[in-house]
Amino acid sequence: MTSRSIAYATSPRTAPGINAAVTPPTASPADSPAPAAKAPTGTRQLTWRFRGHRGAVLFDRRGVVTNLGLALALALVAIASLCLGSLAISPLAALQGLAGFGDPMNVFVVRELRLSRLMAGLATGAAFALSGCLMQTLARNRLATPGIIGIDNGATAFAVASVLGVGVGLAPPPMALAGAVTATVITFALASDIGTRGYRFLVAGIGVGAIFGALTQLLLAQVAIDAANAAYPWTVGSLNARDAASLTWLEIGLGLGLIAALWFKRDLACLRFADSVATGLGVRVKRSRFAALAVSIALTGLAVAVAGPVGMVSLMGPEIARQLSSPRGVPLFGAALSGALVMVSADLVGRLLVAPIEIPVGIVTAIVGAPFLLWILLRPAARFRR
Amino acid sequence: MTRASNATASFPDAVASVDAESPLAARSLHASYGRGRGRRPVIDDLSLALPAGQVTAIVGPNGCGKSTLLASLSRLHVPDAGAVVLDGDDIQQLSAREVARKLALLPQETHAPEGLTVSELIQFGRQPHQGMMRQWSAEDRRVVDEALSAANLHALAERPLDAMSGGQRQRAWIAMAIAQQTPLLLLDEPTSALDLGHQLEVFELIRELAAAGKTIAMVVHDLVSACRYADHLVAMLDGRIVAMGSPSEVVTPELVRRLYGVTCDLLLDPATNSPILTNVRSARGE
Repeated sequence: MTSRSIAYATSPRTAPGINAAVTPPTASPADSPAPAAKAPTGTRQLTWRFRGHRGAVLFDRRGVVTNLGLALALALVAIASLCLGSLAISPLAALQGLAGFGDPMNVFVVRELRLSRLMAGLATGAAFALSGCLMQTLARNRLATPGIIGIDNGATAFAVASVLGVGVGLAPPPMALAGAVTATVITFALASDIGTRGYRFLVAGIGVGAIFGALTQLLLAQVAIDAANAAYPWTVGSLNARDAASLTWLEIGLGLGLIAALWFKRDLACLRFADSVATGLGVRVKRSRFAALAVSIALTGLAVAVAGPVGMVSLMGPEIARQLSSPRGVPLFGAALSGALVMVSADLVGRLLVAPIEIPVGIVTAIVGAPFLLWILLRPAARFRR
Repeated sequence: MTRASNATASFPDAVASVDAESPLAARSLHASYGRGRGRRPVIDDLSLALPAGQVTAIVGPNGCGKSTLLASLSRLHVPDAGAVVLDGDDIQQLSAREVARKLALLPQETHAPEGLTVSELIQFGRQPHQGMMRQWSAEDRRVVDEALSAANLHALAERPLDAMSGGQRQRAWIAMAIAQQTPLLLLDEPTSALDLGHQLEVFELIRELAAAGKTIAMVVHDLVSACRYADHLVAMLDGRIVAMGSPSEVVTPELVRRLYGVTCDLLLDPATNSPILTNVRSARGE
């Protein structure tokens, strides 16, 4: 009778080549003076030693290059959005105006008008896309974004009620948050489970979204035309109706959301596998999924309170980032950067295309987003043929 | 190793004696599937102990509870009553991470993110040993390399999974489980979608892992392969174990008829001494 541990360490039937794979480590990496291990292909590592323990963080090379490229593109579009408009300002003058120098008119236009709009575009775009990326990952479905499963619409209905002064007299951000949570809870109650029933969840969400969309229209139809006009931007998505307090809420939420998402990044990468695989790798699937869901809902609610439902960004941002990044992990930063890029570009196009009339950013993204959605739906077939 | 000598009659005693030293055992397990009214019992008072360092094959007809048993053994499925004991601890009391360091699981549904390469997949096997500030180490590198060698995948390490054959892909998934460095490995129908050559590749890899000391349990559809590659056979019907022991002792024409509703004759394969079925025909009309 051989005890298990002995059989395990000194098995006489050891096959060449594999015995080491199950042999416990002879020396822990902490007390070996050996240099750090070569990083896996496609990554760079940052290593350090602290009290005899070696730490290492891996960076995906392609992801870093992608994020730098996106950040550069974003900076260019951001400068363009400060320069262009009914009063065209040269880039140099715009940057001077941003710093508070030069022509007072430029300073006013750049700092008071365009900068806050740019900030709103950056923050809402990043929030929508990060929210979409988290939702897609936790539902393991590229179509499961807050815009498509009705969380946007829930948040919008509540935000509109707040603007119209119907019901509870809370400010738009908490109302939009409450709406996002309400829509999600209803969707989950109807779908009863997300892990195994991705499509059920999606269909329930689309239904819930339609109901909240109708509710928004009903609210608008019930009030005086001026009040309806004031609330209208929320229903299509526009950066014109932003107010400073809502933007502050969003900026704080986005900062916390990014930190939380980064904290869960490694678990999220495993969530892309089947639940059984993720659990087998030691991931607390339910907890990670709930955390990702909570962050996703909060970001959607806060972003809707600023800009209304610009749901297409939550579909386009993550998809762009995924195309550009490696499949090693979930491109959270890339999604946020892509989302901000899409949002700011769409807003710029909307402002310039038929100036002085402004096309709301939600309409621009919907026009660009519809073909994008079709592409996503049709793409797997194309991949399969390859 | 203790083996049930008279498999069909005395296996509860065999369980008791193997139990103490088995790395993974089920004790009076009851499990069911579905919720609310649709809930139906799948496993009914089942006790089982995996013999250490051996390959156990779980066989039985569709719907007999094989996969639920495997899910319960790997902590995925919460039993209604009874317990699964991993190294002396109730598996449901352990965290996912603690279990992941002792037991690797290869489920039936394996789907990987688009474009993921073989070596990237295998690196995920290191997840339970890593942390946010410990994302890579010399140990990780060594183990991933060894897993690649064990599964004979070095030449394909940088190939995306979606560009590989079914057998290669399955070997890559097993390599990921190897990289977890667990003494236990559970596999749910590891060869179900593979042709003969690829099935053999996978079974031979499993044999080599057992030879290196791993305790392995696998759900297998094909009884002949189960006999050929397993040391220990567990035959299930309607959520219970109906026979358990070494394949040559356990497999009889009566057992095959009871499990699958077919009549057959048994021969011993002269090369491997494992039972093979011949003259198989449906017994349902009789």
